[in-house]
Amino acid sequence: MPHVDQDPIDPEIAATLDAIDATLAGEPVDGRYAEFAEIALLLASDKPQVPPAFAHSMDSKVERRFAPLDGKQRRFGARAPHGRRRWSGVWQASGAIAVAAAAVVAIAVVAGPGTGGSSMSSSSAAAGAASTGVTAAASSSPGSSASGAAASSTPSVHSSASRSAKSQSALVPPTNSSTASSGTGALGSGTSAPTLQPPTTGRKVVQGAQLNLSAAPNQIDDVAQEIYDVVGQANGIVQNSSVTQGGSGGGANFQLSLPSAGLAQTMSQLSSLTYAQVISRTDSSQDITDQYGAATRALADARALRTSLLKQLANATTTEQIDSLEAQIRDAEASISSDQATLNRLNHQVNYSVVYVTVRARSVAAPVSHGGGGFTVGRAAHDAGRVLTVAAGVALIALAALTPIALVFALGWWGASVLKRRRREQALDSV
Amino acid sequence: MDRSSARSGDVSETLTAPASQTRDTSWERFESLYRSSRDDVYAYVSTLLRDPAAAEDVTALAFERAYRRRRTFDRRRGEERAWLFGIARNAALDELRRRRRVAALVTDPEDTVEVDADDAEVALRRTAVQDALAKLPAREREIVALKFHAGMSNAELARVLGVSESNAGTLLYRTMEKLRKACNATR
Repeated sequence: MPHVDQDPIDPEIAATLDAIDATLAGEPVDGRYAEFAEIALLLASDKPQVPPAFAHSMDSKVERRFAPLDGKQRRFGARAPHGRRRWSGVWQASGAIAVAAAAVVAIAVVAGPGTGGSSMSSSSAAAGAASTGVTAAASSSPGSSASGAAASSTPSVHSSASRSAKSQSALVPPTNSSTASSGTGALGSGTSAPTLQPPTTGRKVVQGAQLNLSAAPNQIDDVAQEIYDVVGQANGIVQNSSVTQGGSGGGANFQLSLPSAGLAQTMSQLSSLTYAQVISRTDSSQDITDQYGAATRALADARALRTSLLKQLANATTTEQIDSLEAQIRDAEASISSDQATLNRLNHQVNYSVVYVTVRARSVAAPVSHGGGGFTVGRAAHDAGRVLTVAAGVALIALAALTPIALVFALGWWGASVLKRRRREQALDSV
Repeated sequence: MDRSSARSGDVSETLTAPASQTRDTSWERFESLYRSSRDDVYAYVSTLLRDPAAAEDVTALAFERAYRRRRTFDRRRGEERAWLFGIARNAALDELRRRRRVAALVTDPEDTVEVDADDAEVALRRTAVQDALAKLPAREREIVALKFHAGMSNAELARVLGVSESNAGTLLYRTMEKLRKACNATR
């Protein structure tokens, strides 16, 4: 690149240069510059002439636009370009490798979290809800649907994923362990899990479950109503509930108390709701037979003690004996009350299982199968938008992966250029 | 049609493109550049390398490179002629580097200059200038070649060398001064 001419040239030098230019142009010059003029003319007249053979070869070469002649790649300059072309090939190969590496990185980044796709879907579902918000909270019995769920029309379609979830069987963990937890994970894949039946050996087992569902943002009410209906049919209790329709955080939460005897069937029904898809389900159980037995024995002992104290009180003769026995009887009765309450609580825990149900609004952009799955312009536009979104994401990731590589290559190219230029200048100085 | 250049008058014939190729303005520009600059490029390279055979190779290579890159030429960065000489200069310097690595410089014996009309005094002066030029370092010999053999203006010379115009003028002046002193010393 030409440098900016900032330094003024010496007048004497400028006059000499002008005289040289005038001489070359055939114009007369001042006698002071006669020597320079003579040298300039001699130098110009000594211009090396192009050999006729070379001139002819060059003309024909240019005429055929440097195309190979009779299969020979090059007639002139066969030596020098090899180095450059070799380096050019290296750079091209390096560029191709860099692009390939970036593509692999991009694919790895995109495909890496594939196993967690369902969790990504659920997180996006929470952000994709509609904007109008209707929030309700209630603590009610199963039949009181008016407490939180707004009235809704009966939808004519439901997701295929939801239908696949209906095939899930209820998971009942073994009851002979002190504490057990099982069944966490996405159940909407359509695989059929085996039904596990706990042994009925008379042991006391406390069961519980956590069910995570997803539903279309405009069908949260319908799902809530379905849950109420299932709880009512099972003679269970909705201990508390919260239903949010619309808004970015649309969803519902339920704490249910369901009869343990029909828990498996009820859980199966809750997992097969028409408008919801099972995201995950966790069943848990705790064997409290020992705790239950201890409470029973404690109650029996307390009752036996009270009976014995009552007999002693009947035979007591002195005031002091009577007062002491009455105090002991009050303590025994307090123990009986406490033990009885403990026993009742344990019985309730065994007979009624606590089930937590969470319903999340899934993303509007999530793929929804409409009935027969016919092709429509709307679905095509939806799919196209989805494809563009994914493509933009992949392009962004690829760009992020390519940028540092490109920077390294740019620095390398710049350094190589500087080095090459310097070596050329050194070659000029060394001759 | 005579489309010869004012600078290089030896190339007068029109180079015809194959009929199958459509009108290509970049090709036409290159063809014009070739016709106007072939002799000058050869003269410059020959003076710089002091090896006619290598000068032919480098000249051919320079034009081939220019042809390959003709579409990347940006007029805003200078004239085509300076651009071409930049390519030729790089090719010549690469040749100098290659020769430095491979072997010592072996030059062909210079042709005997036949002086028909010049008198003895002029012949002596010419010989003195040639000797002085041959003793110049390559960098200064390059300036002479660009100025007097390639017929460049000081501005073009500056663009090819990548220096300012005043710097190029100063370099040229110093080179001429050195030649003048060398010639006078031989008298």
